[in-house]
Amino acid sequence: MNEWVVFALLFLSPVVSSIPIVLLYKSRTWTARLPYLSVFGIFISVLMSLYIFFNFPAELPDCRFVSPYTWIPGTGIDIVLITDYLSRYMGVITALIAFFIGLYGLDYMRGDYRPAWYWFFFNLFTASMLLVVYSDNLFLLFVGWEGLGAASWGLIGHWFRDDDEIAYVGVPARKVGPLEFCWPPSFGGWRAISTIRFGDVPMFFAIAAIWLFAGNLNISEIAWGELFMKLGAAGTIILCSMLLMGLFTKSAQVPFSEWLMTAMTGPTTVSALLHSATMVAAGAYVFIKLTWYIQPWTLHSVPGLDVVYLFVLFVGLLSGLYGALVATGMLERKVLLAASTMSSLGLMFGSAAASYWITEPLMSVCGWEVSLAVLVAFWYLAVHAFAKASLFLVSGHLIHATHTRFSVGNLEFSSKMKVTFAITVIATTFLVGMPPFTAYWVKSAMDEVMEHLLHEGMLLPLILLLATSLTYSAILARFTSLNFIKGEKPKHEHLEGGNLMKLGYVLMASVLFILWYLIFVSEETEKFVHAGYVSTSLLVGIAILVAYLGAIYKPRIYSLSAIGTFFNDRMYLPYLNDYIIPRIGFFVAHLVHHYGNRAIDGFFNTKVMPGLFGLISRGIRAIQTGYLARYIRIVLGVVMFILILVSIGGVHLWL
Amino acid sequence: MAVTVNTLAIVALVILVLGAAGSFKFRPLGFIGALIAIFIGLALCPFYYGIFIFLIALVNLLSLVALQDIIKGVDYCLVGLMALATMYIFTSHDFAMVLAALVLVSVPTYILVMLREGKANTEVGIKYITFMVLATLMFLTGALILVYAHTGIGSGSTAAGAGAGAGGFSYIYALGYVLLVLGLSLEVGVAPLHEWVPDVFTAGDPIPISIIASLAKIVPFLAAMWILIPTSTAITPSIVMFTAVLAAISMFSGNIGALTAREPARVLAYSTVANMGYVLSCFVVIVKPEYVFYAVVGGLLMLFANGVGKIGFFNAIKGEGAFSPLMYLLAFSFIGMPPLMGFWGKLYILFSIAKMEYFWLVAILVINSAISIPYYIRLAGELGAPWRMNLTNFICIIAVMVTLLTVLFVPVDWFVNNIVSIVHTLGVVL
Repeated sequence: MNEWVVFALLFLSPVVSSIPIVLLYKSRTWTARLPYLSVFGIFISVLMSLYIFFNFPAELPDCRFVSPYTWIPGTGIDIVLITDYLSRYMGVITALIAFFIGLYGLDYMRGDYRPAWYWFFFNLFTASMLLVVYSDNLFLLFVGWEGLGAASWGLIGHWFRDDDEIAYVGVPARKVGPLEFCWPPSFGGWRAISTIRFGDVPMFFAIAAIWLFAGNLNISEIAWGELFMKLGAAGTIILCSMLLMGLFTKSAQVPFSEWLMTAMTGPTTVSALLHSATMVAAGAYVFIKLTWYIQPWTLHSVPGLDVVYLFVLFVGLLSGLYGALVATGMLERKVLLAASTMSSLGLMFGSAAASYWITEPLMSVCGWEVSLAVLVAFWYLAVHAFAKASLFLVSGHLIHATHTRFSVGNLEFSSKMKVTFAITVIATTFLVGMPPFTAYWVKSAMDEVMEHLLHEGMLLPLILLLATSLTYSAILARFTSLNFIKGEKPKHEHLEGGNLMKLGYVLMASVLFILWYLIFVSEETEKFVHAGYVSTSLLVGIAILVAYLGAIYKPRIYSLSAIGTFFNDRMYLPYLNDYIIPRIGFFVAHLVHHYGNRAIDGFFNTKVMPGLFGLISRGIRAIQTGYLARYIRIVLGVVMFILILVSIGGVHLWL
Repeated sequence: MAVTVNTLAIVALVILVLGAAGSFKFRPLGFIGALIAIFIGLALCPFYYGIFIFLIALVNLLSLVALQDIIKGVDYCLVGLMALATMYIFTSHDFAMVLAALVLVSVPTYILVMLREGKANTEVGIKYITFMVLATLMFLTGALILVYAHTGIGSGSTAAGAGAGAGGFSYIYALGYVLLVLGLSLEVGVAPLHEWVPDVFTAGDPIPISIIASLAKIVPFLAAMWILIPTSTAITPSIVMFTAVLAAISMFSGNIGALTAREPARVLAYSTVANMGYVLSCFVVIVKPEYVFYAVVGGLLMLFANGVGKIGFFNAIKGEGAFSPLMYLLAFSFIGMPPLMGFWGKLYILFSIAKMEYFWLVAILVINSAISIPYYIRLAGELGAPWRMNLTNFICIIAVMVTLLTVLFVPVDWFVNNIVSIVHTLGVVL
């Protein structure tokens, strides 16, 4: 099959398959049937991504596909796709997760008030994410990137009527200081798009700067080392910071994490696909991809790059700890998972950034030498995606079954929801890094990476990682315990149906077993397995197990409820988002309104320009006295004056 | 060919004279004679410009019908003479003929400006003639000096004067250039030599003023170009700054004056000052032969647009209002709204100035176009009236149709291509 046909089917089938439902949005019958077509469109993408995975080349330069069609002539900006190691894996992950969640959504969104809106944005999102994943050209990637932002806004605010409290985040009417700590879906959508735009604009300029200085936008082709040398230390730091603004806002790293918490006002399927597995991971993914080709471990002579990677390392690890800590105080199912997602994304950033210092061992992957740290970050992304998506789908089912977004559920309840309970246990234990499950091996390698930083004189990263890992284990155990073991008895129980939902998360969680298997059989993950057998890793694994069991046993410590509230209020970070920044905005608006406008008005409309016009116009009119003698004097005066000037100039010429 | 053209010109002149003589017996004879003469004159001129000049002269003639003046139809012949001279200058390859054409266009206006129902308008006549004589004098002196600097005739030197190295020739050249441009400025009313314009335009009868504001403006500019282009020397690039400054002053004084003037005739007077500034600004191009045709296209289209617009507006003043949509269309053409003729004129002028990298002048021209919008709209509003079946509206319809000609021939390639051929003939004037 021609590769462009494959790509076209991959990107277009989700979009095309969701057009009929948009056209027939008024018909109840059709909007009930057509979601199946939309999911089928995603299924085609799954097939194509698998086809690419098994049949397309993985080594440069064969894996780079430049479209025969020139996109923007004369600029070198073309449609360039890549099927390297990262893209082929990430493509399958994206398509598969979207498909599983699509299946789940067929049940979950049944009877919703605007299915056309939902399915169109859901599929548009899938196509955009696939575009981000397979793009080698930064400009093309940015097109997909903006698609993510738009779809995210559309889906978070899906229940735009704000008429059902079950979609809110926070406790209604709860006030902390002047702010109400409760966010409806429409506000959630606005917070998401405004935060993301805040990062996208600098990112766009960074891409423009790369184009200007490198003359190329293909990630795998740009001579990154030369580019950074050309820019110098300050230039490199500015360029990377602008680019990172886009990545950090998308991946909800501190201090841009607030939007992700209130993104939970969207349907659970959206939280699962966008706000845990794919879109928020896109920031980390792009960072991993850039690092993969920048190869910072070979660029120690480039000034400024160390600052950039140190910055990302600490933003990532601090976000990791922040996310895990605030989750300890949370009772809302999805918000707890959102905070833990942010934490995981932080670890991905942190470990990818650590690659700068991890010059040994370098792994040979598809003919490309990469640092172990990058590989760790990517594998953690993969494991996290499936595990967290499963947990979100579970919590969506729980919200349906108990009709509350707060954690409730005891052993009696869980005995009625055995599959759900089992999947929760699998997903949590496989994700927290408990031996011998999937994430344990990845986390062990991550421990090794951070331990390696000790040689660089950095102890803090390891401490942050361990603290995050233990807290993380505890919060997921807490999630399990509060929803299935030690929570309150649900007031409502609605246990019928939901088979497609179950199918969705069972399929999702089953991939964790495949990944487990892959870790043991793949060449490039050999080091993970080695790291898992190191005694310190085992010790950390056991500590994680203990933290998990402890939190299962005692999910809530009432004596610490004050600190729990502090964490549940996200350490008052909402003030930054909803109070301080708006204040700054209002202040600027005030300045513009009162002084800027007055100055502009004064200049153009009331004082300066009209005054000048009046003056000139009076002068012009004053000439017209009607007396010929005066006119002659003026005309002859002007002529004489100019002739004198010419004479002076002429003498000058003569000499 | 030359024989035929000259023969035709003589035939046309004879018809004009006969028409003028006959008109003392029977007034329409002068009209018919002038009409036939300018129709014959069409053959003197490359086709398209001939059409424009023919149309402008035709509406000038028609508008005279509204004036029961004291010279009984000789006025028609004077307009015919101006039209013939204007057409003749396009094909003239002769320095003397260019100057003769200038005088032929200028002198009839001395008489026309005094026309009024009842008795001669001597006050306006004196003001006008004083300045015109001075202007023609300066123009001719300047032209002679330029030719002298260029060819060295009369200096005993055969150094055909590119002026390079010969400082004396450069000085003489600069003097000639400045005198010629000042003469031109006074003749057409470029600020700061525009003092006569508001007075004459307000005090004179609108009909003769419309002729002065339209047909009479074309030849001076062409004659100036015809002389300046072949005589340009190494110092011309630095001296064209003088014209650019004059143009800028003229645009600002004209537009600001028009913006704050109340009387429609006075607004039109200042608008003429501004328009002459636009046309003068394209004189910066004379040193670059490869861009000259943009300047000529822009300048001519601007002059034609200004001509028909002024005819329409002045006739509306005379007829106490004309049909509103016609007034607005003319106003839009003046403002430079595509695809009307005024737009193309400004576009090509801007294009030529931009090619010369006079970007400050481009900016000033654009700003001036913007500040001219209010008074043109106001003028159209004031002169607009409901539909009436009369001569004024008939003339305005012709004027609007001429401004719309560029809509029919979009893009105006034909104009550019024909200008190229004309510009090629420029080099052989001397």
